[in-house]
Amino acid sequence: MAPPPLTPYTFIQCPCSDSSPAGPAPASPSGLGSDAEDDDRTFDPRAPRSNYSLHPLEYLMYCEDCHQIRCPRCVAEEIVTYYCPSCLFEIPSSNLKSEGNRCTRSCFQCPICIGPLAVTSLEAPPDPNLLAADNASAPSGPYILACSYCHWSSTEIGIKFDKPNGIYSQLQKVHNGGHPRVTAKDRKDRRKDTISETTVSSEPSSTPATSGPLDTETHFDNLRSFYTHQISDSVSSGPGLSLTDMGVSSPSSLTRLMNLYTVNSLDPSKKPTAASARRSKPTFREAADAEEGLQPADLDESSAIQALRVASWPGTATAEQRGTQEAVRLSNLAEPPLHGRSRLVSELRPIPVLLRTKRSKRCPVCRHIISKPEPKVASTRFRIRLVAGSYIPAIAIRPLNLSSPSLSSPTAAAANGLLQPLKPVQYLLTFTNPIFDPVKVTLATPATVPGRFASKVTVLCPQFDIDANTDVWDEALRAGEAKKRADERLEGLKEDEDVLEIPMFVRVEWEVEAAAEVGTAIGGKETRERRELAYWCVLGVGRISQD
Amino acid sequence: MASAKPSASRHSILPPISQSGPKPPVTFSSSITISDGAVLTGTNPILISSESVIHPRARLDSMGGTISIGKRCIIHERTRIGDMGSEGRLSLQEGNKAVTLEDYVTVETAAVVEAGDTLLGEGTVVGVGSRIGRGAVVGKYCTITPQSEVPDEARIPDFTVVYGNGMRRQDKRGVSALMNKAQRQQIDVLRRLIPSKPEKFH
Repeated sequence: MAPPPLTPYTFIQCPCSDSSPAGPAPASPSGLGSDAEDDDRTFDPRAPRSNYSLHPLEYLMYCEDCHQIRCPRCVAEEIVTYYCPSCLFEIPSSNLKSEGNRCTRSCFQCPICIGPLAVTSLEAPPDPNLLAADNASAPSGPYILACSYCHWSSTEIGIKFDKPNGIYSQLQKVHNGGHPRVTAKDRKDRRKDTISETTVSSEPSSTPATSGPLDTETHFDNLRSFYTHQISDSVSSGPGLSLTDMGVSSPSSLTRLMNLYTVNSLDPSKKPTAASARRSKPTFREAADAEEGLQPADLDESSAIQALRVASWPGTATAEQRGTQEAVRLSNLAEPPLHGRSRLVSELRPIPVLLRTKRSKRCPVCRHIISKPEPKVASTRFRIRLVAGSYIPAIAIRPLNLSSPSLSSPTAAAANGLLQPLKPVQYLLTFTNPIFDPVKVTLATPATVPGRFASKVTVLCPQFDIDANTDVWDEALRAGEAKKRADERLEGLKEDEDVLEIPMFVRVEWEVEAAAEVGTAIGGKETRERRELAYWCVLGVGRISQD
Repeated sequence: MASAKPSASRHSILPPISQSGPKPPVTFSSSITISDGAVLTGTNPILISSESVIHPRARLDSMGGTISIGKRCIIHERTRIGDMGSEGRLSLQEGNKAVTLEDYVTVETAAVVEAGDTLLGEGTVVGVGSRIGRGAVVGKYCTITPQSEVPDEARIPDFTVVYGNGMRRQDKRGVSALMNKAQRQQIDVLRRLIPSKPEKFH
């Protein structure tokens, strides 16, 4: 039951999680005191908060203007493009507001297994030549959506399409089973018709209430139109108080409320106003029928229970399937009305594919762009990408076990991948300099690892220089030349928490030409500027044997 | 460069096919297509009916009993039919049936059908990398989706799709005739592509 061996790792702590962040809004009341404490504080990799601030080097970005590490938690993101991951079609953000965050072309996911659905032609009689590619002339409708993974197809919910494209809009127009569905546009047209009808023939009963329950959109639209009418009607009829602005935030309704609660009770002379308000009330009535948006709850669930009984277990949708249907309901494809959640597999609807985004990242402090992808959907390139790996040295840690044959313990420790308690183990830290200037590195670790069972840590060479990175091609050819070594000996005491993680403070110093800043460099004089970067990192060394 | 000489002298990176183990008694129909790269081992008979196709590197192991393959089956590469499974060897009995494939069965690449009276019904497709446990009985026209697993001794009714993490559903497409037709056409193509050497196994 030995735990899996642990490959050594290094995580870097992003300074954004410090109590004195570079962010614009720190300003804690005890700021000064905590800052003073900070200098002495040792970073504890076991602290519960540390989990959120440690990142592998590859996840980190670097702001060139603030000269600071930026982690995924401390960058501001901006959306560059919205696109459909299935058809790679770019969606303008204006469409997004009107049509939602789903692909509105023909990209759908299977409601059963969320696999991608393909539009397939279905020839009405099962033509024996269907699969022969050569004599299959241009496929003609009807078309279906078919999942090639679980073999679900839209025929199972009784839906076929006339055209192979624009499935989304076609799907909006049909219920499961193929009954036509009233879309928003149809509703608008119909309402226009009924209004003209009632005005011409003044026969209100000519519009039969929509058979069956209303769907969510119709329900909302009816309610809204009814209440807007109510408001405008009461305005025209109500003489005393203006009801134009029913919103609570509008000043007139506020004064009205204040009058109701304060003035009336204190000042009897204001009574008539209250009376007039009461008089105008009856004109403002609630919705009374389906045309006005009243939807009585169907509390009789016996038909639903009966349907479940008939469909039995295989015909019942799973919780996951119903969960994905919620997404469908948010887009305009919602199938059942308010009270009938899709409980059966036959009530499920294909799920339109969720859109994705390409995002650029900005430094939260100086607002400079740290990462910016190409806006074109198909391109994977970046215009700007300041990754930390090209600014701060990469740290690799591995056991140093062959150099000292006299010390038999390191090899023994490496044998099963576990560290033996009370036996010193040597590790080799390798720093790789990515920048083209020589770098001075200073390391510091606490003498003992924080935690219940402390391991002793000794850095044998706490200060050293790394040569500058040479040419790109040179680096590619002889990787690992510009490296310096720091030996670190650590001694395991009795440990209970089995992964040994050593916090290490890294301070990197280098000189750059300050000529880059425009305005400061006058006359082309070569000025050198010292840069320094200091951060905590955590070396995951290995598991400690518990025998 | 390697491109100087065309494919004739190109070396395969695949390991050589090991034809170790006892040679089983075989009964082949005259119309089958079996690559000489297929591996047939075991002590019990192996029976392959007409027009079935065995790809190279398919492994048929009859140690656990008879293997019989129906008409117009396709056994793809690196499949293991009659695999003894992880639980060690089965008891060897006379007349024991290891695996029975009915007609029109497709076993796709790297799928495993374990031995122990396992039955795959007509028209069933076993997806890439799936495992059919021993003693399982899979009905007609079932689809075992790629990388899924049918547990030992499972009973799968006809027209079932096994997908996801052991989920099942009924295939309501009703296209079994079309599937058979497609299988026939695929076999026609494969016969032209795979050089058949049934005499090697006699």
